[in-house]
Amino acid sequence: MIVRIRRLLVRLTLFLAFVGCWEAAYRAGLLNPIIFAAPSVIVKAAVKDGWTFLAAFRVTVLEITMAILMAWCFGIIFGVIAGSLPILARISAPMLSAVIALPLVVIYPVLLVWFGLGVTSKIVFGTISGVFPIALNTLTGVQSIDHGFATMARAMGANRRQIMFRVMAPLALPAIIAGLRLGTALIVIGVVLSEMLASTDGIGFWISYHRSLFNTGQVYLGIILALSITILVNMILSFVERMHFRGGDERFVR
Amino acid sequence: MNHRPTARAGSVEIIKVERLSKQYGSGANSLRALSDISLSVSEGQFVTVVGPSGCGKSTLLLILAGLVSPSSGDVWIDGAAVTGPLPEKISVMFQEAWLLPWKTAVENVEFPLMLRGAPFAIRRPRALSLLQLVGLEGFANRYPGELSGGMKQRVAIARSLVQEPRVLLMDEPFAALDEQTRTRMGNELLQVWEKFGRTVVFVTHGLTEAIYLADFVFVMSARPGRILERFHVELPRPRTIEMIGNEAFGRLRNRIWHLIGGA
Repeated sequence: MIVRIRRLLVRLTLFLAFVGCWEAAYRAGLLNPIIFAAPSVIVKAAVKDGWTFLAAFRVTVLEITMAILMAWCFGIIFGVIAGSLPILARISAPMLSAVIALPLVVIYPVLLVWFGLGVTSKIVFGTISGVFPIALNTLTGVQSIDHGFATMARAMGANRRQIMFRVMAPLALPAIIAGLRLGTALIVIGVVLSEMLASTDGIGFWISYHRSLFNTGQVYLGIILALSITILVNMILSFVERMHFRGGDERFVR
Repeated sequence: MNHRPTARAGSVEIIKVERLSKQYGSGANSLRALSDISLSVSEGQFVTVVGPSGCGKSTLLLILAGLVSPSSGDVWIDGAAVTGPLPEKISVMFQEAWLLPWKTAVENVEFPLMLRGAPFAIRRPRALSLLQLVGLEGFANRYPGELSGGMKQRVAIARSLVQEPRVLLMDEPFAALDEQTRTRMGNELLQVWEKFGRTVVFVTHGLTEAIYLADFVFVMSARPGRILERFHVELPRPRTIEMIGNEAFGRLRNRIWHLIGGA
């Protein structure tokens, strides 16, 4: 406990020192204010446009949340089903790998035509960005499980659905969680990116807007908010991971 | 202690196999695993199946369990034709225990009942009493990763009894254990069997184990597997380790040995 508090204090001191140096360099005229916004400039921007950014933050968080829910659900369900059906796995695994290698931004203009400039196109693009790695990881995770488990479950009277979701899916959980980490990071990237390309609201939109006006302070404020979303999402993922491994890894030794 | 069902006298036929064959693939690449197998087992008997490796004894067991379908022939267990798993009548054990790693021992034992939607108040006491039967009452809340190989197979024995099946099918359940543990597990299995009087079909490649446990030993030939002969083991029950050294045991072991070797 004391160790943790001390570590926290050290980190805080380092952070404050860094911010102080940054501000001092700006005051001394060493930093170009258009390229590097000093902390005081960012604070000024926050006072001026704080509410706009908070509203935008809400929009972005909503989009990311929806995209995460959809990508997790579709990715895991598809991965589990495809992973347990050899024919479907053989068809879909190479396709999923191919789609992951594709720069998905190229389909964003199409989504704009389909879903408009509003939040829907961001949610859909975010989902598409994240769902494929989640599905592929789940699929390979389920495939790699020893057939003995399924045979045993069948002998015990489990039906197809029970075998998939009460035996195979939990067994594949380590692989699924690895996929969630990858996919969720891509969702956050996808949503903010799509906001920056074409939208009416959201953190990405306001970063893009203020950049074109050379309001560096506001751009940095947006960057900080986007960072905080990533940190939040990472905390949720770590929580899920810890829930899963609460008994320690040793119980996954057969 | 001897309150086994009277059916043990050997009157009621519980497993009946007729002209069973199994072929994998077709045409020139086909593989005949089993050929024209007919056998019958009476209720309450402990029978073992031995044969050279690759003779299809595991396939035979999977067919009896309804997990693999035969190419031709029929299997009846307790009057029902076997076309798929019959968890209320038949339970299966393999070389691996296949315990679910995120469930504790007792949760693993009650898992088959949970699949059936049995309420906690029914499944938990039954699972606990079975764990006690296999001597693991102190380990009910341990995870499989914390149990030794022998303990895992004991959990698997408890789990295989939880649905109160009529027939236990065991495919080399102790083959992965060290010799001492294997012998001890064999004795414990016999005790459980004496208590419950279920029919057991036990596949193994250990001749000593096969004779030691069994009322009848079925000997299979090399591929395609056929039943060569059925031996009656006339040693008294309960069996003891000393019997392995006696003359009748040795003679029977030699006969089976030569039968398999010469096949």
